[in-house]
Amino acid sequence: MSQPFRLSVPDADLDLLHKKLDLTRFPDELDGAGWDYGVPLADVKRLVAHWKHGFDWRKSEAEINKLDMYTTDIQVDGFDKLNIHYVHQKSEVPNAIPLLFVHGWPGHFLEVRKLLPYLTSSSPDHPSFHVVAPSLPGFGFSEAPHKPGFAGYQYAEVVHKLMLSLGYNEYVYQGGDFGHTIGVFVVNKYGNTHVKAWHSNLPVYRIPTFFSNPLLFLELLTMPFNKYIRDKVQTSLRIRKKEFGYFMVQSTKPQTIGYSFADSPVGLLAWIYEKLVAASDNYPWTDDEVLEWISIYWHARAGPAASARIYYELTRGNEASDMFEGTSWTSVPLGVAHFPGERISLPKSWAHMLGKVVQESFHEKGGHFAAFEAPEALAGDLRKMFGKGGPAYGVVSGKDGY
Amino acid sequence: MSDFPVKEYPFTIHVPDADLDLLQRKLDSTRLPDELELDGSQQWTYGTPLSSIKRLVARWREGYDWRKSEAEINKLPMYTRDISVDNFGTLNIHYVHQRSNVLDAIPLLFVHGWPGHFLEVRKLLPLLTEESADHPSFHVVAVSLPGYAFSEAPTKPGFGAPQFAEVFNKLMISLGYEEYVYQGGDWAHVLGIRAANMYGGRHIKAWHTNCPITKPKLSTILAHPSLIPRILASPFVKDAREAYATSKRYLSLECAYMKEQETRPQTLGYSLADSPVGLLAWIYEKLVAWSDDYPWTDDEVLEWVSIYWFSRAGPAASLRIYYEMSHGGTGDFFHGTQWIPIPTGVSYFPGEIVRLPKSWTRLLGNVVYQVEHDQGGHFAAHEVPERLACDLRKMFGRGGPAFGVVPGRSGYSLKKN
Repeated sequence: MSQPFRLSVPDADLDLLHKKLDLTRFPDELDGAGWDYGVPLADVKRLVAHWKHGFDWRKSEAEINKLDMYTTDIQVDGFDKLNIHYVHQKSEVPNAIPLLFVHGWPGHFLEVRKLLPYLTSSSPDHPSFHVVAPSLPGFGFSEAPHKPGFAGYQYAEVVHKLMLSLGYNEYVYQGGDFGHTIGVFVVNKYGNTHVKAWHSNLPVYRIPTFFSNPLLFLELLTMPFNKYIRDKVQTSLRIRKKEFGYFMVQSTKPQTIGYSFADSPVGLLAWIYEKLVAASDNYPWTDDEVLEWISIYWHARAGPAASARIYYELTRGNEASDMFEGTSWTSVPLGVAHFPGERISLPKSWAHMLGKVVQESFHEKGGHFAAFEAPEALAGDLRKMFGKGGPAYGVVSGKDGY
Repeated sequence: MSDFPVKEYPFTIHVPDADLDLLQRKLDSTRLPDELELDGSQQWTYGTPLSSIKRLVARWREGYDWRKSEAEINKLPMYTRDISVDNFGTLNIHYVHQRSNVLDAIPLLFVHGWPGHFLEVRKLLPLLTEESADHPSFHVVAVSLPGYAFSEAPTKPGFGAPQFAEVFNKLMISLGYEEYVYQGGDWAHVLGIRAANMYGGRHIKAWHTNCPITKPKLSTILAHPSLIPRILASPFVKDAREAYATSKRYLSLECAYMKEQETRPQTLGYSLADSPVGLLAWIYEKLVAWSDDYPWTDDEVLEWVSIYWFSRAGPAASLRIYYEMSHGGTGDFFHGTQWIPIPTGVSYFPGEIVRLPKSWTRLLGNVVYQVEHDQGGHFAAHEVPERLACDLRKMFGRGGPAFGVVPGRSGYSLKKN
C-alpha cells in the first residue's frame, strides 16, 4: 500500500556530514591544469566552503517536500520486495495521460521537478499528463536490491508494477540515460499491452549489423565517405576514451569506489560534479543547485555506493557486449529528442534500430539532463507527440490528455 | 659506509602529530557503504569486500601503530637530494641507499611502480648487499618516484618518461655511480625501457624486469625477422593462449582503475586524499588481486597504505603518472620507445597481472637471461624476495650472462680468504 513520503534527514546525519566537511583534506593540483586532469581544485574548494557555510539542506528539503511523494512496496520476481519512493503528480484533467518518467545516473527523481508544471497543467492547446517519477532502486529514497543480478528486466518490472499499482494499466514512458536504457527493457516486456508509446532524449542502441538492419549497415559502410556519420562516430569514440573512466570503474568495481562515495563528501561531490558540468550544455549551475543534487546522493536511503551497481548489473560486470542484451526492436511508437550537448550522439538514423520512430526533434540548446536544463523544450516534444494531431495522440484508451 | 666520498643528506620520516590526529578523527567518522549479499567465492566480484574493510578500519583506528612502523622504516639508510630536471626545476628526491661491504659491489637502481613504493626494496636489501664468495653483491639505491612517498611531486603538466628517467640517471650519477644496473616492475618496467633507451650503454649497463610487457611495433618486428615465425605461431602455443586470456581478462575486468587514472586523476584524487577508507579500498584491491596468494597481515597492509596517506605530495599526485604516460588516456605508454640493446634480464612470475607470450619477450630487447617461477606475483620483491634476489645474482654473478657489465665492479670482494 502506498504511503505519503516526507523527506527528513536525521540531525545525526547532517552532523556527521558537517564533521566530515570540517575534516576535508584536499589534494594538490598541477599549475594550469584547468579541467584536463579532472575537476579543478578552485571549483571544489568553493563548493565545499559553500556546503559548510552557505547551503541550507533543510530549506531544500522543505521545498522538495512540496512535491507529492509516496512510497510503496513492489515485489520483483526472484528478489525481495523493495520499498520504492516516487513522485506522483496528477493533473487536474481527469483524462490526463499517465506518464512514467525515469531518471538515470548521476540523475535522480528531482529531474522531473521543472517538467511537472508543463506536463500537468491543463489547456485546450496541449495535452496534460499524470506524472509518476520514481527513484530507481538504490537511488534517492528507494530501497536498494540486496542480491546480485538486479538488471534491466528487474528495473523494468519495478517501474511497470509501480504504474499498475497506481491503477495505470496503460501508460506512456519518458527517459534519458538509464531512464532510456530501462525504457528499452520496459517496452520489450510491456510494450503495446501496457506501454503505448515512449520517448527518449538519449536514443542509443546497438550498432547496426548486416543481419540486424542491412540498410543502416550499408550506410555504416559508407562511413569513410560520409562526413556526417564519421564525425558523429569519431566524436563519440573520442569521448568514450576520455570520459569513460567512471563507467569502467562503476561497471567492474562499484564496491571499491563505493567506499569513497560513502565516506567522502568531497570525493562524491567531485565525481558527480564532473559529469554535471561535462554532460550539460553550458548549464549555469548555481552552487546551491549542485549541492542539492549531490545531497540526494549523499543522503540516499541506501547510501551513494548502491547507485553505482546499476552499471555492473546492466553490463554484467563489463562482460556483456552491450547494455541491451535480451532486447530487440519493438513496434511501440517512439519519439526521440536530440539535444546538442549530449555527448554520445550517434547518427540519427540509428534510432530506427530502437523502435518505430514516429517523432524526431532536434534542439539548439540543452544537454544530457534535458528535463532539468531545457524542461520547456522537452515538455514541448511530449505535448507535440501526444497532442491532438500528433503521432501518438490518444494511444492510451480513454485518456487523451484533454 | 664511512668511506663513501659523496655527501648525502639523511632523511627520517616524522609524520606531524597533527596529521596523525586528523587521520584518527577521519577514521572515527568513517561511514561505510552497504554491500550485496554474496556467497564466499563471489566476495570480490564487485570490488573490495566489506568484511575486509571493516576489519582493516577497526585495526587502523585501534591497534595499528604508525609510530612503530615509522621507527622501523627509519632504520633504513634514507636520504633526500635535490635533482634538477630540464624544464621542471628542482625536485627534492627521497631514496634509500644501502651500500654493501663489498667495495666493488654492483650499483643497482631499484625502482617501484603504482601502488608500490620504496619499501618494496626492504626485504631485498640484506640479500642484495650481503657479501659472499658464491654470489655477487650490490650497492642498492631505491628511489621514491617523484610524487610518491617522500619525494616532491612535479608542479606542472608533462612530467613523463624522459623526465622520470632523467631523475633516475642524475640521482645515480650524483652518488658517483656513473655506470649502474637497473631493476623494476610495473611503472618501473615501463620507465626502465625509456631509461635504457636514453642512458643504456653509457650509464645503464644492463637491466632486469619482473614485468616484461611491451607494445610491439611493426618496425621492431620487421627488424627481427627471426622472431616472426614464433610470433605467428602464438595462437597455437599454450603459453601464448594463456597469456592472451590473462591479458584479455585484465583489459575487460581489471583495468578500470587505469582508465580513471589516465583520464581523470584529479577527480579520483579528491576521494583518495580525503578518505582513508577510500584510499585503503582502492589500493588493497590491487594488493590482493595482483599478488600470488601472499599472506598479507593487516599491519602490513596498513603500513603500505599509510605510505600513500602520509606521502609528501598526498595520494592524488601519485596518480598523475598514468595521465602523463598515456597523454590523458589517448596514447600508449610505450610510445617513442625502442628495442633495447643492453643486456636485458626477465623474470616471469605466475601471479603477474598481464603478460605477453614468452616468444614476444625478445621484442623488448637483448634478452640474455630469462627465468620462469612457479610462485610470486606483481609485487615480486615484496612477495618472493629470495627468488628475485637469486635471479639478479644469477644474471650478474660469475658465469652469468651479465657478469662484469659494470667495469671495475664485479660484485665480488677482491680479498682472498
